[in-house]
Amino acid sequence: MESAAFSRAPTGGAAPARAGSSGRGDLLVVELDRFQGPLDLLLHLVRRQDIDIFDIPIATITDQFLEAIQGLDTEDLDGAGEFLEMAATLVRIKAQMLLPRPQDDEDEDPRAELVRRLLEYEQIREIAVRLAAAEAERGRRFGKGYVEPRPRGILVDPPLETTWDEVMAAAMAVKVPRPEARPHRLRTGLVPLEEKIQLILDALKEASRVEFGALVAPWKEKIHGVMTLLAGLELSRQRAVSLHQVRLFHELWILRRELEAWAGEVRPGGPGEGTLTEGEEVA
Amino acid sequence: MKAAQIVEAVLFASDAPLKAEEIARADESLDEDQVELAIQELRTLYDESERAFQIVEVGDGYQILTRPEFAPYLERFDTVPRPSRLSGPALETLAIIAYRQPIGRVEVEYIRGVGSAGVIRTLQDRGLIDVVGRGEGLGRPLLYGTTRKFLEHFGFASLDDLPRPEDLPVILRERTPLDQVLEGEGGGEGAGEGVA
Repeated sequence: MESAAFSRAPTGGAAPARAGSSGRGDLLVVELDRFQGPLDLLLHLVRRQDIDIFDIPIATITDQFLEAIQGLDTEDLDGAGEFLEMAATLVRIKAQMLLPRPQDDEDEDPRAELVRRLLEYEQIREIAVRLAAAEAERGRRFGKGYVEPRPRGILVDPPLETTWDEVMAAAMAVKVPRPEARPHRLRTGLVPLEEKIQLILDALKEASRVEFGALVAPWKEKIHGVMTLLAGLELSRQRAVSLHQVRLFHELWILRRELEAWAGEVRPGGPGEGTLTEGEEVA
Repeated sequence: MKAAQIVEAVLFASDAPLKAEEIARADESLDEDQVELAIQELRTLYDESERAFQIVEVGDGYQILTRPEFAPYLERFDTVPRPSRLSGPALETLAIIAYRQPIGRVEVEYIRGVGSAGVIRTLQDRGLIDVVGRGEGLGRPLLYGTTRKFLEHFGFASLDDLPRPEDLPVILRERTPLDQVLEGEGGGEGAGEGVA
């Protein structure tokens, strides 16, 4: 098994009883998590008792196997399933051994496939040992190639000691910010409104009217168009200009208005009506 | 410029094994045979002058590696690559795949007796095995084989360097195909040939 999914077979009080029933002493006190799987365990049982692998006493081995997996963690279905499957195979072979078999070569010994698997697994294990040796030997030779220095001391993750209760407590301690307390930030436009108001006023010093498009044309950024329009609206609100557009999407004209209220100074926050007058339409 | 010097320069500058044919690309005047000759020449030279490194045949190519006896000195440096070690299950799985390739996951699991999907994925991520094809039968299962990196990792020149079955204490028999084995078990019929 790749993980220590199996709890240790009970020792102490339970061990003597098991040893007594099997009559084999401590041979059968096995730690399941030491084994990589059922074949590993079975091979261990066979080899430690010096059993002839080609003539396995299947009844004895089956009992020992079943006893050894008493400590199975039944909640680990995958891992336990592999051991249980082997147990089922052993029991089936044991039953087949009891049936009379004809002595011709057609019918194989019921143990044959199991023996093949065990031998094969044993060989694979032997090869794995040789591979590990080859790997170690190769590891003693170094080629070129720089690697980043290994960080020291921080390789081990600190154990996670937080409990769910603590997580819950932390979650409950969080105060939900009140919506009205949330700061609301506006970014100041890079193009000041005053600049555009001045632009319109300057243009209107020389002519009584000016095309909106002509005021915007020198700049590419949309913000200039927006600010120029806002400046026009602001001046209109202050009754310094009036905005004229013949039809939707047509050129917008800004017209000078000679009015007594207009003294030539800019009053961005000054009082005034927010509506356009004289039927102007602004698209 | 001598051929041996060119080969030496190429091997020195490479951080991975190079095949003779790859080294031969360094110059129009070189071919594979000349590269092999040059390598022999260099090996003799290194041995005679007691260099700390050798030209080693590994992973289907040649690479300049330090002699193993210098490992204790090099291991003290953090800037020297640390050799990685594979886990027991990984080695077991690799052993099966190396000898039985191309082989599918189900067969690996049958031989090991345990689920192996995770190990196979890890080995594939590390580039030690790769999908080499698809098998016949239900779902056309993926078949795995070992890679050049596998040879490099274990210092093998080729798959022939794997321990041979006859060198091993247990004699591995030719297997009956797995589907026949399982069929035999289910039907209570004899599965393949008997045990000697």
